[in-house]
Amino acid sequence: MSSESETVKVWDPFVRVFHWSLITLFAVAWYSGENHDMDRHRQAGYAIFALVVFRIFWGFAGGRTARFAQFLKGPGAIAQYLKTHDGETPSDGHNPLGGWSVVALLTVVLAITLAGLFAVDVDGIESGPLADWVSFDTGRMASEWHEGVFKAALAVICLHVLAIGYYQILNAQNLIGPMITGKRDRAKGETTPDVKWSPVAALVGIVVVGALTWLVMSGFKLG
Amino acid sequence: MTRAKPMFLLALAAAMVAGGAIASAASPAETIAARQANFKKMGGAMKALKDELGGGADKAKLLAAARTLAATARLQGGLFPAGTGPSSGVKTDALPAIWAQKPVFDAAAGKLVAEADKLAGIAGSGNTAAVLAQFKVVGGTCAACHRQFRAEE
Repeated sequence: MSSESETVKVWDPFVRVFHWSLITLFAVAWYSGENHDMDRHRQAGYAIFALVVFRIFWGFAGGRTARFAQFLKGPGAIAQYLKTHDGETPSDGHNPLGGWSVVALLTVVLAITLAGLFAVDVDGIESGPLADWVSFDTGRMASEWHEGVFKAALAVICLHVLAIGYYQILNAQNLIGPMITGKRDRAKGETTPDVKWSPVAALVGIVVVGALTWLVMSGFKLG
Repeated sequence: MTRAKPMFLLALAAAMVAGGAIASAASPAETIAARQANFKKMGGAMKALKDELGGGADKAKLLAAARTLAATARLQGGLFPAGTGPSSGVKTDALPAIWAQKPVFDAAAGKLVAEADKLAGIAGSGNTAAVLAQFKVVGGTCAACHRQFRAEE
């Protein structure tokens, strides 16, 4: 570890690409859904499905700060963080509170996507790729959940953005820059090591998630 | 035989009067509930058609769904009497435009019946490509009318 280096790598590239792709695709899915452009809406949904499933995999196999085990802390650690955080000492990756925000975001987005797979529109014309495994009524219910959880997701996203604003404005901590470049400034005397990740794990994840997504898109109908 | 015929006609006339009386006695809430149930049935039939066209293409199932669709579509035109719009106070997505442009609406309803009949005519043929093409025509007919006359959710 060279003590000369003024920056430290805190986010691996997959975390960053996941983050910004998810925002873009969420916007595409929202816009196309509102405008009844269902082909595009489904495509965006498949991509979001793949991203979120990959992120869950990466939560076990990714770089240090990508792992659930690294950033999910108990109530004691959260209370401690709330009491002692000074706005100057940066966390190594997600802070104890932000870690749970990641889980909340992943949960709502995955729930929307799963409901969407089974959703049927009121006319029985447009539907998710797995809708023919369920009845019209079940498909309609899935569609209502799809919409209901979407609204919940907007609330969670709002909270996430507000929290970033809080750190940015009140604590002068830039969280957006590192999510783009992967690096943040080192605090004085900080010895946090750079984040490393395994290309083999990434490749395995991409192949498995790609195959699963393809199966879902084809409605699990082989041949 | 010759005496049975007038009796039959009389009975028929009585039934029609009674039927008309029942229809006119139906409250807006009942009429709205009836047409919504029918739309739901048609949605289910559309889904059944879509499922079959995307998978097994079972002729009997296609035919059954297409017949349900055509028969139900035929009932819908008469279930939009004046006073059954949003002003009735009953929750409905039916827009006032239906009654403001009744001839346009009736023509659209008639088009649906015609296209659904066409679909029912070929649904059992085994020509999946033709059934799929007509299914899309029917779906387009639904969507066109909904855009104009149904409130956005």
